[in-house]
Amino acid sequence: MEPMVNSQGNSEPDHDGHAVPLVYQRALPMSPGKVAIWLFLSTEIMFFTALIGTYIVLRFGAPEGTWPTPAQVGVVEWLGALNTFVLICSSMTIVFAYEAAKSDRVRAARGWLVATTLLGLVFLGIKGFEYKSKYTHGIYPRFPRSLMHDRADLYFVSNFSSHLKQRISDEENFSARSSEQAATLLENLYLIQSGLVNWTEKKVGMSDDPNMKRMALEAFAHQVHPLSKRPDIEKYLADEETELRQEQQRLLPEQEQLESKLASAQQQMSALADEIAQLESDRKSQVDDDGNFPAAGELERQRKGELESAEQGAKETTQLISEVNQTLNPIQQRLEAHSAFNQLEHGINEHFHLKLPMVIPSGNTWANTYFLITGFHALHVIIGIVVFLLLIPLELNRRRAKVMENVGLYWHFVDIVWIFLFPMIYLF
Amino acid sequence: MQTDTPNQSKASSQRRVFLVVFGFLVILTGLSFWVANSDIMENRILGWSVMISISVCKAMLVVAFFMHLWWEPSWKYALTIPTLFMGCMLVLLLVPDIGMRTDHYPRSRQQLSPEAITVPEVPQFNEPPTHPDPSHGAKT
Repeated sequence: MEPMVNSQGNSEPDHDGHAVPLVYQRALPMSPGKVAIWLFLSTEIMFFTALIGTYIVLRFGAPEGTWPTPAQVGVVEWLGALNTFVLICSSMTIVFAYEAAKSDRVRAARGWLVATTLLGLVFLGIKGFEYKSKYTHGIYPRFPRSLMHDRADLYFVSNFSSHLKQRISDEENFSARSSEQAATLLENLYLIQSGLVNWTEKKVGMSDDPNMKRMALEAFAHQVHPLSKRPDIEKYLADEETELRQEQQRLLPEQEQLESKLASAQQQMSALADEIAQLESDRKSQVDDDGNFPAAGELERQRKGELESAEQGAKETTQLISEVNQTLNPIQQRLEAHSAFNQLEHGINEHFHLKLPMVIPSGNTWANTYFLITGFHALHVIIGIVVFLLLIPLELNRRRAKVMENVGLYWHFVDIVWIFLFPMIYLF
Repeated sequence: MQTDTPNQSKASSQRRVFLVVFGFLVILTGLSFWVANSDIMENRILGWSVMISISVCKAMLVVAFFMHLWWEPSWKYALTIPTLFMGCMLVLLLVPDIGMRTDHYPRSRQQLSPEAITVPEVPQFNEPPTHPDPSHGAKT
């Protein structure tokens, strides 16, 4: 006789005095796997809450203007939006995969799962592309690989200078191939060294006014890697240019005058030297029997004296010229640097693809949080993809629908984390 | 298969729900992208609040429909209410106490922060210093 089964699925107690068979009853109206995955997801919520909470503390706790905006660290908004779209699509496809598995459409389930895997890989690809562009711009969590400085100070200038020297020597070795492009770049590097680095170092070293020093350093940092529109720096540079042009106007005629003086002195010297040589050879032709010449005449002695004084004068003029040049050359280099670099919208670093140190306040802290949070998220994506790859070869029928559901829950959670990361990292 | 017809119609109606949710998610993503590039960001606190609210809406849509919580029995409240509580507390505790603490920093504390980007004082080139105060990164 078949045992009667009541609505709860328990067998009816029989009336023959036999022991009632024990029946398993779940405490929760869901499968143990689902309980486990939800429990796991709550720990995951806490994990990402801690990371995002840390980010909130650092991001919103940074004083006004000391946290890089997305544009300043080269975060591309539409790439983030695209990645959001990709993850939303993958959430959609994993839902369809689960629905298909539930209704025993094995081929469809596999197809949707493959689509989800591919979308996950697209997400990782875009993420990898973004990481790569961070690395090529020197955006690392910390020194020595990081090229970001918090402040425009002398440490920044000296680090910039040593990187630049390294780059120049690399280029010099490289330009053995001597393409025109390499030569232009090298010229620009020399100009950066003389017109920006050396000028700023000198300016800061010689100025007593702290505001002046600060302005010079900030202007330098701005020319290397501008963070925002800076009318104050533009005004400072324009004022400096006017000042230097006046100085140049004053010094150029002076230099010209001294050079013409030197040229005339040299002419005079050569004339005198010719005359003296003539006199000497005349004298030496009057050799007597003992092989002695007559002593130098009055005229010759006088000419020699004149030559000596002319030489002395020329020496002094050369000295004066070099003094004038010492003042004039840096000014001219600075003016050249002004005309070459002031109009660059994105600074010399970006324009010449230089990879030299730059000033981004809190840049290293930003990189810490960025790589930590997105890295952990990417790790979750990778784990999800691995699970998908393990599931794809299996027969995804009704029996495996529960597994599919749990994997789907995990994948949706990864999507939700990204939904919060996208505005926080790309749009704030 | 005659017996599957109600199931199939249920599945197709659910599929329509999923597609509508998907559409909303895409629209909301576009919306927060638009907010980030609009005038709302002039008031940054407002812009951030709007974008986070949009994110919360998106997360709720995903949780409710893609993660099937909408159709689950009452155990879902045991899960969602403490989580929501934790989320609200996190924001309420962190933002005013820690996130906004630098709004009231004294000058001496500001000097320890990385360089501020905005500099209010513009010294004239080669003029005698008009600001003998050597404060660094100070705001007026």
